[in-house]
Amino acid sequence: MRSLTLEGVSFWYPATDSPALRNVSLHVARGEIVALVGALGAGASTLLLVAADLAPRVTGGRLTGSAARHDRSGIVLPTPWTQASGMAFSVWDEVAFGPANLGWPTHEIARQVDRAIEQLELAPLASRDPVTLSGGELQRVIIAAILAMDPGLVLLDEPAAELDADGARTLWRLIRLLAKEGKAVLLATSTLDALPEVADRVVWLEDGAIRAVGPPDLLADVAACDAGLGTSVATVWRTSGLPGPYPLTVAHALRRWR
Amino acid sequence: MIPVLRLDGVSFSYGSVPALADVSFAIAPGERVALLGRNGAGKSTVVRLIAGLQRPDEGTVWVGDWDTRDCAPEELARRVGSLFQHADQQLFASSVRDDVSFGPRALGVGEREVERRTDDALEDLDLTPHAAHHPYDLPPALRKLAALAGVLALEPALLVLDEPTIGLDRALRARVTRGLLERSAAGAALLVITHDLTFAAETLERGLVLDRGTLACDEPLAALLGDATRLEPLGLEPPPVAALSAALDLPGRPVRAAEAARELARVARGRPAP
Amino acid sequence: MLALALVLTLTPGAGSSPGWRPGLVVLRTALLTAAPFWVFLLVLHDVTTTVAIGLRITTMVASFVWLVAALEPARLVEAMVAAGWSASLAYLFGATLSAVPVLKARAQRIVEAQRARGLSARGGIAARLRALRALALPLVLSALHEVDERALALETRGLVPGIRRTPLAPPPDTPVERAARWALLLACLFALFRRVM
Repeated sequence: MRSLTLEGVSFWYPATDSPALRNVSLHVARGEIVALVGALGAGASTLLLVAADLAPRVTGGRLTGSAARHDRSGIVLPTPWTQASGMAFSVWDEVAFGPANLGWPTHEIARQVDRAIEQLELAPLASRDPVTLSGGELQRVIIAAILAMDPGLVLLDEPAAELDADGARTLWRLIRLLAKEGKAVLLATSTLDALPEVADRVVWLEDGAIRAVGPPDLLADVAACDAGLGTSVATVWRTSGLPGPYPLTVAHALRRWR
Repeated sequence: MIPVLRLDGVSFSYGSVPALADVSFAIAPGERVALLGRNGAGKSTVVRLIAGLQRPDEGTVWVGDWDTRDCAPEELARRVGSLFQHADQQLFASSVRDDVSFGPRALGVGEREVERRTDDALEDLDLTPHAAHHPYDLPPALRKLAALAGVLALEPALLVLDEPTIGLDRALRARVTRGLLERSAAGAALLVITHDLTFAAETLERGLVLDRGTLACDEPLAALLGDATRLEPLGLEPPPVAALSAALDLPGRPVRAAEAARELARVARGRPAP
Repeated sequence: MLALALVLTLTPGAGSSPGWRPGLVVLRTALLTAAPFWVFLLVLHDVTTTVAIGLRITTMVASFVWLVAALEPARLVEAMVAAGWSASLAYLFGATLSAVPVLKARAQRIVEAQRARGLSARGGIAARLRALRALALPLVLSALHEVDERALALETRGLVPGIRRTPLAPPPDTPVERAARWALLLACLFALFRRVM
């Protein structure tokens, strides 16, 4: 069952001549985790804005092709601190801001907020004033705030950027759990080493167009390594001159080595 | 030699919330230091203290022979360049170029020197193609890079950087590494806060770890990053290259990609083909 | 004189913040804001008119300063939503009221960034003016940029027209308060009526 279908999508930001996306066709199914990788400016963030129905509706610009969303989406932007409502006395209220805007009954809001707070391990911070949080803490709060709105299509732009190792581990585990619950997840990340454990499919974007789509093994591909998109282990293997196929993770490397 | 930076029993709290407790360390000229630790461990507070934007409740922050208590931030800018946490909100000129040249101009160096420093900083971080753009027209990751260029252009004795690589792709991260290594070779000391331990391993040589406001660890970074059992209670995880070196038991346990690849090739040559 | 007395009785934090200190801050801010008006009035009019109009202006300024000091924007949003207003409109009111602290925080961030890059705001008038000029343009531009950013961010948090927001913890509204509000409104209408007749 599809959650997002993009057919031949091209997108231009306002007052620009060259498109940020070129003829992108992509579908994401419910229960699937798709990772967008590529150099900075390759179009991953734009693709997420299109998927969230924010581009061109809110950003302006021009879109050709068709984008169909079959579920309500929730997006975590790469600058989560701009997503705080500024109208909350506590972390709990901040997380509840979105669900309340959706007009849900109070008990349903409380249920979803409590769940999201537990999932992001925010309980110790629940009564803190959001303005006193550190960068990584606020990032977790915003992720919880988006998940509390129970989106069917979860869109994440660099969600682990400010997280420490524990926070990142919790996040990746949570993403797998969300997929198991039947949500579709589309995420952009430069943390390539996490993807073999997380993603079902990897989409390699280059200059606004899809260059390749495949399982995470794609990140051990010669071309991906040369484009700076190989995992650390694959890249070391390639640099050492050992023959391919390159191992994707430390565990793969260990098997190969023995 | 006088250290570029010395924290001497520094404590600080935000109202009743303690952030740092009795933190002491010193950094020598040209030294490259990582400041690691969990979210909320007090790392960003260290940056604000060194930049003179906060004063320690107890203890002293020495920048060279200056006590930050006696110096305004604009005076400290002659010795310290600081990149703050949400640096993308700290750009204020109408083009990347103007923003980068703001610092040297404010310090009052000659116009030709301003131009040279600006060109160098933009070039170091591959930002020359974006020089004429308005900072807000750039994606967040490039805005942070532009802010970093503005800090490099100060050409200070000490660079204090809070998460300089967030959202950057591998090529740009390598670019940042190269730029920082050049500055360090020219004598600048680096204190870098980062969760990106791969970047830290490639760029830095000494590791400080803050744990709930106290200094839990101060030692060579390579030894620390290779030791998973010690990293774990500090909320850290070995970067993949260090984990690979440990798993394959590569000689010297290298933590940098190029060295690991070299050792891997050397060991593989000595083994019978599989 | 009556007007000033009224302001004085009402000002001290009335309920939300106990003690005299917040009230004195409000009064000081209000008097400082009104002071230039008094000067202009004195230049243009005789003393009696100056006092009459000046007190009125002071009362108006003080009531507004009092409102801003006593009112938590987030509570206003909750109260408006509970009273049946649309969430977007309520948020617009709340955001307008919190614009001053937000702008202040933004200005502080810019000043900190500029000082950390060597710009001195100290010294003579010339240095201060230079620093002020360096702050003004980026402050306005970044605030404008933030308007776009906020629109996008609020969309992501479900703040779209056409949905009735659930009030989370609306401030209590007692029958006495409701009656007082209606009475005040009637008093205003009555005053207006007498004025016009």
